[in-house]
Amino acid sequence: MSDAFAHLAHALGTAFKESPGEPWADDPFEQWAQRVFAYQFETNPAYAAYVRKRGITPSNVGHWSEIPWVPAAAFKAITLVSGDPSRVQRVFRTSGTTGTVRRGEHHVLDLELYRASLIPNMGWNLYAGAPDGLEGPTRPIFALTPAPASVPESSLSFMLGAALDGLSRGEGGFFVTGDGVIDTAGLSEALVNATTRGTPILLAGTAFAFVHWLDWLREQSGEFDLPPGSLIMETGGFKGRSRFLERPEFYESLSEAHGLPVEAIVNEYGMTELLSQFYDRPATARSGPALDARRHVPPPWVRTRVLDPNTLSTLPMGDPGLLCHYDLANAGSVMAVLTDDLGVAVDDGFRVLGRVQGAEPRGCSLAMDDLLSGVLP
Amino acid sequence: MKRTFDACRLPPFLREFPTEPGLIWETIDVSEGVAVRFPAWSDDTAQRLLDTLTEAGARLAEVPVRDLVTYVGRVADRFLDSSDPIRHQAVNWLVPTAGVSKEMATEILIGMARDWTAERLTELLRRELQDPGVLDGFCRLDEGRSVRAKGPLLTFHVGAGTVPGVSVTSMIRALLVKSAVLLKPGLGDVVLPVLFAEALADEAPELSDAIAVTYWPGGSSHLEGFALERAEAVVAYGGNDAISALRGRTPVTTRFISYHHRLSVGLVGREALTVERAPRVAVMAARAVSMFDQRGCVSPHTIYVEEGGAIDPREWAALLASAMADLEAELPGGHLTAIEASAVHQMRGSAELREASGKVVRVFRAEEGFWTVILEDEMGFVPSCLNRVVSLAPTPDLCDVAGSLGEVGRYLQTVAVEGAEDRLPILAEALGRVGATRVTSFEKAPWPPPWWRHDGASVFAGLIRWIDLEAC
Repeated sequence: MSDAFAHLAHALGTAFKESPGEPWADDPFEQWAQRVFAYQFETNPAYAAYVRKRGITPSNVGHWSEIPWVPAAAFKAITLVSGDPSRVQRVFRTSGTTGTVRRGEHHVLDLELYRASLIPNMGWNLYAGAPDGLEGPTRPIFALTPAPASVPESSLSFMLGAALDGLSRGEGGFFVTGDGVIDTAGLSEALVNATTRGTPILLAGTAFAFVHWLDWLREQSGEFDLPPGSLIMETGGFKGRSRFLERPEFYESLSEAHGLPVEAIVNEYGMTELLSQFYDRPATARSGPALDARRHVPPPWVRTRVLDPNTLSTLPMGDPGLLCHYDLANAGSVMAVLTDDLGVAVDDGFRVLGRVQGAEPRGCSLAMDDLLSGVLP
Repeated sequence: MKRTFDACRLPPFLREFPTEPGLIWETIDVSEGVAVRFPAWSDDTAQRLLDTLTEAGARLAEVPVRDLVTYVGRVADRFLDSSDPIRHQAVNWLVPTAGVSKEMATEILIGMARDWTAERLTELLRRELQDPGVLDGFCRLDEGRSVRAKGPLLTFHVGAGTVPGVSVTSMIRALLVKSAVLLKPGLGDVVLPVLFAEALADEAPELSDAIAVTYWPGGSSHLEGFALERAEAVVAYGGNDAISALRGRTPVTTRFISYHHRLSVGLVGREALTVERAPRVAVMAARAVSMFDQRGCVSPHTIYVEEGGAIDPREWAALLASAMADLEAELPGGHLTAIEASAVHQMRGSAELREASGKVVRVFRAEEGFWTVILEDEMGFVPSCLNRVVSLAPTPDLCDVAGSLGEVGRYLQTVAVEGAEDRLPILAEALGRVGATRVTSFEKAPWPPPWWRHDGASVFAGLIRWIDLEAC
C-alpha cells in the first residue's frame, strides 16, 4: 500500500468502526466522498482520464452525486486500482459459468478496510438483538459456501470467513467443497449439535446452495428446527436476472424446513465490485414483515442513487431505475459503480426489482444472456 | 390518461368480444401511459377459433392467387398513402409499442409496406414458382408431368416482436399459398399485424374468417398448445429458448419453419477507403446500423475495416460517428426499456474506460442519445448490446474475416460489403462456408427484397407441398 492509501484506508476504517450504525449526516459523507474522489482521481490514471473526458475534476464537483460512476462491467474490461497495483492484496472475481467469458475482477489493496466495512454492517444487521428481545447472541456461522482458503477469489467466502473470525468468535464452519458440492452430512451433524445446545445460529449461503440444501432435506424427509433467535442469510436469489424460484415460495420453504419465521430470513444484496453490502433488515422490521415491503438499507458509508435509464438523472422516490452505488469502502478501486440492477428508492434505502412486467427482449439479435452464456468468443 | 391498444383481430363470430362467454381481457403496460390488451382464452373458445380458421382455410383454397395478391396489395397501398388514416394510426401506435421514434416508425412502415404491394408480390410469386397458377390448379411442367402447389389449411405463426412488420410479411406468405393464419405476434410487433388484418378483412370480406391475430405472453395460453397441435405448419421467429420450446411441442407430422436469432456484420475494404468514397460508405453504414435501432437480424454488430487505404480505420471511425450523429437527428433512436438502456451504459462505459486506460481503443458517442462507435484495438467479432452500438475491428486483410468468426458463424446472416469488388466472389465463398446466407451492400442490408431466401431457405419451401401428376 502506498502511504497515501494506507492513510486514507486507516482513517476510513476507523470511521466505519466508530460509526453508530445510523446513517451519517450529509456533511460527513460529502466530505469523505470528496476526499476519496480526489484520491482516486490522483492515483487511478484510467479513471482520471475517464472523469476528465466528462469535464470533471475534484475541484469542480459540488456534490458527491456528481462524481462519475463506472459501469460494473468495467471491472471485466480493465484493472481498476486506485493506488499501487503491485500492492494488491487479493483479487476477487465474479462467478463465471465458462472459461470463455471474462469475469469481473476486484483488485483489493487493503483487506483490512474490507473487514472494517463488512463486520460492523453485518453486526448491525445480523448480530443485533432480535426483535423479540433476545440478547444479541454470538450466533455461530454455518456457511453454505466453500471455505475462504479453498476459494480465495470468492468475496462471499472471504466475507463469511471474516465474520466467523470477527463476529462469531470462530464458531461455525463451511459446508461446501471447493468444487461446489454441499457437505450435507457435515452440515446435518453441525445443525443437530447446535440444536441440542440451543444456541441461535446464522445459516448463510447463496440462494442456489439453499435450493439444493432444501432438495436434499426433502429427500431425507428431514427438517431442522433451528434454535429460536437463529437467522438465515441468503444472497443472490433476489436479483431479477438470476431468480430461479419466486421469493415468497423460497422463503416459505426455508421457514418450514428450519422452523423459523420468515422475518428471520435476510437477503444480502452484494456484488464483487462493491466492498460494502446491503441487507434487507427484517430484524428491525421497520416496514413490517411483508416481503414486498422490505428494503435494502445501505451502511452509513454508502449512498445509492436510482437513475433514469434513458437520461441518467436521479429519479424521485418510488420510480424504478438503475441502482448506482457510492461506496467509500471502494477507496482502493472506484467508489461510484452503476449496476444493471433495477430498483426504486424508498425512505432509507432501496428495493431491488425483478424484471419489469412485459419486458420481452426486443432485438432480433442475441440477447446478452445468450452472449454471456459462452456461445460466442 | 392511459391509452390501450387491443392486440387482437379476430374472425367476426368473436366480434361480440369481450362479451363472448369465456373470454376476458388481460393487459400489459408497455410504456409510459400505454398498455396492450389481449384476450385470455377458454379452452372451448380457443378450439372454436381454430375450427373457424380451419374451415376458412378450406374456402380460401378456392380463391385465385391473383385475387389474393390484389387484396393484399390494396392494403399495402393504404399504408403507403400518407393521407390515409390507417397510416397515422399505425405510426402513432408503433412509437409506444415498438419503442421507436415517430420518424423511425414511418421509415419502417414504408419500407415494409413497399414489399407488400401487388407489384412486388407478383414478382415474388414469379421468381419463386415461375407459374403462380400452380397454386390454383395443375399446370403442365414438362413432358409427361403436371404439378400443383398446395399450402397448409392453417398455419400458426409466432412472431418475435423485434422489428415491426416482420410478422405481417410472414402472414402474407401464408395467405398467398392459401393458408388460413393464426398469428401470435411478439409484444413489440402487435400493431401492424392487427391493422393489416383489419384492413384486409375490409378489402376482402371473404377472407375475414381466415385471419386471426392475437397476442399472449409466450407459453401462457392454452390456445398456443391447441394451435401447435392443429396447424399444418408452424412458423416461428424468436430467441433460441423460445424456438426450442415451440419445436419440442410441435408434432413431428407438422411442418416447422423456424428463424432463430441471427446477427450480421459489415466489411469495408480498402478500395472504399478513399477520400472520396469513405464518407459515403460511412453514411450508408450508419443507416444499416441504426435502422430498426439495430434490433434486426440484418443489423451489423461489428464492422471490419481494412487497413492500408487512404483513410485508416481510425479516420473512418470518426466519419461513421459523424454519420451516426446526423442520422440520429434525421431518424432519432427510440425510448429504451431499462434493460436495453442499461446494456448500452455498461458496454459503452467499459469501452470508455479501456480507452482511458491507454489501450488503442477509441470511443465516439452521442452526448444524449445512445449511438456509440467503438474502434477496437484488434480484429475480432464483438457482439453489440444493440440500439446503435457498433464496434469497428481494424483488419489487415478482409479475406481473413471469415476464418476468424468461429462459432459466430452459427448465428451469422447478412454480411454488408463495401469496396472489395474484385474480391467479392472469394469473400462470399468463404463467408458462405462459415454460415453467412446473404452478402450485400450496406445500402441494401436493412431491406432484403421479398424473394430473399431468409436464412438460406426459399420463401415458400416449407409452406407448400408439391403434387406431381405423372401421365399414366
